[in-house]
Amino acid sequence: MERSSASRLGRFAVRGVFWRQYLDWAGINLPFYFYPVNIFFFSFFFFFFAAPARRAIVANLAVVLPGSSRAMNYLRAFRTLCNFAWTISEGAIYKLLREEFAYEIIGAKWLEQLGAAPNAIVLTAHMGNYDLGAALFAQKFNREIRMVRAPEPDRQTAEHLSASLEKTGEGAVKVDYNTAGAFLSFDLLNALRSGEIVSIQGDRVEGGVAEVSARLFGKEVRLPNGPFVLALVTGAPIYPLFIARSGYRSYQVIVREPIMVLRTGRAREDDIADAVAKWCEVLEEIIALCWDQWFAFNPTFPTDGRTR
Amino acid sequence: MDELDKTRPHFYFALLRLLALLRGGDATRAENNGAEAWLGGVAINLISYLFFAQFIPDDLKIWQGALLLVLLAFFVWLFWLAVLYINSLIINVVRLCGLFHSIPIRRMQSVLLGISTTAMAAGLLQTDSWSREIASIWLVMVAMNLSAAAVLFSVHGTRGREE
Repeated sequence: MERSSASRLGRFAVRGVFWRQYLDWAGINLPFYFYPVNIFFFSFFFFFFAAPARRAIVANLAVVLPGSSRAMNYLRAFRTLCNFAWTISEGAIYKLLREEFAYEIIGAKWLEQLGAAPNAIVLTAHMGNYDLGAALFAQKFNREIRMVRAPEPDRQTAEHLSASLEKTGEGAVKVDYNTAGAFLSFDLLNALRSGEIVSIQGDRVEGGVAEVSARLFGKEVRLPNGPFVLALVTGAPIYPLFIARSGYRSYQVIVREPIMVLRTGRAREDDIADAVAKWCEVLEEIIALCWDQWFAFNPTFPTDGRTR
Repeated sequence: MDELDKTRPHFYFALLRLLALLRGGDATRAENNGAEAWLGGVAINLISYLFFAQFIPDDLKIWQGALLLVLLAFFVWLFWLAVLYINSLIINVVRLCGLFHSIPIRRMQSVLLGISTTAMAAGLLQTDSWSREIASIWLVMVAMNLSAAAVLFSVHGTRGREE
């Protein structure tokens, strides 16, 4: 009895399924001009009720924008939450209505390369609308993409998200959660060897996956090791790719030069460390540029000598 | 999704679509204009905010009045969410009766929202304050928009692109 009432209340938690279902309802029911004001107030609501996320954004901004004041960073956190609300709303609109979205490609030659690559790893961040980006990629290049996501704390939310992503990608986007330990690694390895494209979020460690130490904005952080090991084993190039919101229903697809993880005869860790350092350079550049779209709702940087 | 084309703006409201047509542009209906989205949303919320603000008693202390005005903004947001939900139930019933199946739900919501806001604007016309001017602007814009819709319909024989 207690468990069922807790589960009912859990639907309304910040990461509960209720809000995802509301987005779907809104996509069908809300006139497009109702979104700006609605999103503003919802962001305000979550700014107060999603306190851990708000604190994490403020803590991350203090590192990303050194010298910034705490008060300003609270306003920036509000802006980040607004952007998050816009991206998930627009993702839902695209999924449900197939409305028109405009996009601009930055790094077109690398995107073309990625589309034609026999296999590849797309390394991205919790930034902008990565769900919409995967669908766009699948549609533009008519290729399947396998997305690896951090697990959602709420089971119903996870199921809803998976179904949404697969619907958005019209079957060309498959979703895996990085909770299955070694089995997922083998699945991804097989996928790459059979010529698939695997998309992984490489800006934070979640779900007890293998980690690697790296330096981001001068601080030591833990990043997922998996993409780099996979690249080393399969020889697949790593393409840094980010989808940043650039305005009302318009996005920028930012692709950077691929990172190769080569066997140089040194220790495997050293080969991986070089690639991780290159990834961190790109990640730093993009986060500094789009700090208001970095949806890192957990502290990324160490506090009091600890790393998350 | 389409590659970015910033050369020709598209509009949702009939008045702007008619103006675009007169300037040699495209009159098909689109929902991808951010400025239009903000303008429409702010106008509806402003009219409803002013409508409810007239019920705040005059004899409050300044800080009480200011606090109520801030809280009123949240009340108006929740009010519209409730209205949209009730509208969705009405639309479901109407559709169960086999009516308006070809019109997208959010378009029907738009019509119902327009009627509700226009009723509030008509209510504001009875007041003596400057909000009457805002209400008048709303009513004039609604009239012009409906006229433009009629013109577009007679010229094109269509209401624009339907999803």
